[in-house]
Amino acid sequence: MDPMKAQQLAAELEVEMMADMYNRMTNACHRKCVPPHYKEAELTKGESVCLDRCVAKYLDLHERLGRKLTELSVQDEEMMRKAAVGSG
Amino acid sequence: MAASTGAADAAGSEPTGPGSSVPSMGSPTIQYSLVLEHLIGEKRPVKELNPAVMGGLPVPPKSEEQKMIERGMESCAFKAVLACVGGFVLGGAFGVFTAGIDTNVGFDPKDPLRTPTAREVLKDMGQRGMSYAKNFAIVGAMFSCTECIIESHRGKSDWKNAVYSGCVTGGAIGFRAGLKAGVLGCGGFAAFSAAIEYYLR
Repeated sequence: MDPMKAQQLAAELEVEMMADMYNRMTNACHRKCVPPHYKEAELTKGESVCLDRCVAKYLDLHERLGRKLTELSVQDEEMMRKAAVGSG
Repeated sequence: MAASTGAADAAGSEPTGPGSSVPSMGSPTIQYSLVLEHLIGEKRPVKELNPAVMGGLPVPPKSEEQKMIERGMESCAFKAVLACVGGFVLGGAFGVFTAGIDTNVGFDPKDPLRTPTAREVLKDMGQRGMSYAKNFAIVGAMFSCTECIIESHRGKSDWKNAVYSGCVTGGAIGFRAGLKAGVLGCGGFAAFSAAIEYYLR
């Protein structure tokens, strides 16, 4: 598979991936930082501080796991290739 | 992982890359590692994180000044200043009121039997009001500042913030008179704060 096609496929998938990530991040941070009963509409100081931290952690996590996953998938394919070459 | 990136580069440069280990079907194989690299790995494009693009409700972006103003209004320093000014006004009113119902206002220690003049009474009332005002202002600023700092640190917004900061404020005020007074001040002010929080929530 040539890299241009891979890049195009990735560009198509990316929009959906970002939307999904945004939704999950919103849900997770809302669940963690905003208690279910509130008496006013505005975010309190504690909640907004918590949300800042939550978003920063989430994005950091996303980046690290993405890097690790690509490393592992490259290693995996290396192994498969060697096995194919060995057996073929 | 130099070896794996080297392998990935080799895979990228050769048109018949490795992943075509699956064979003879007509459907093109997807080499996941390449796609992943462009999606979440090293070669992903720089994304501008904008909620309108990612699926949130499209809101007009806030200008830099607006963000700065909002950040300033939410900051602990601003809240402390607000509490200080509010405490000053409240303390002044309270002091003048207390002076109004006090029979000893304008009392002249050199001549205790003389009725004080109106001017002396007013001056004394003003001094007492000013003294109360300063005290209230300091206490209010300290309480608000510590509460904001504790709330920022904990990341939660509940009644415990007021209790902790009440203890800190009461302890700081009482500590000048000794350790035991500090502990008592802490307990007392914390209990007072807890009562106020219970009433407010």
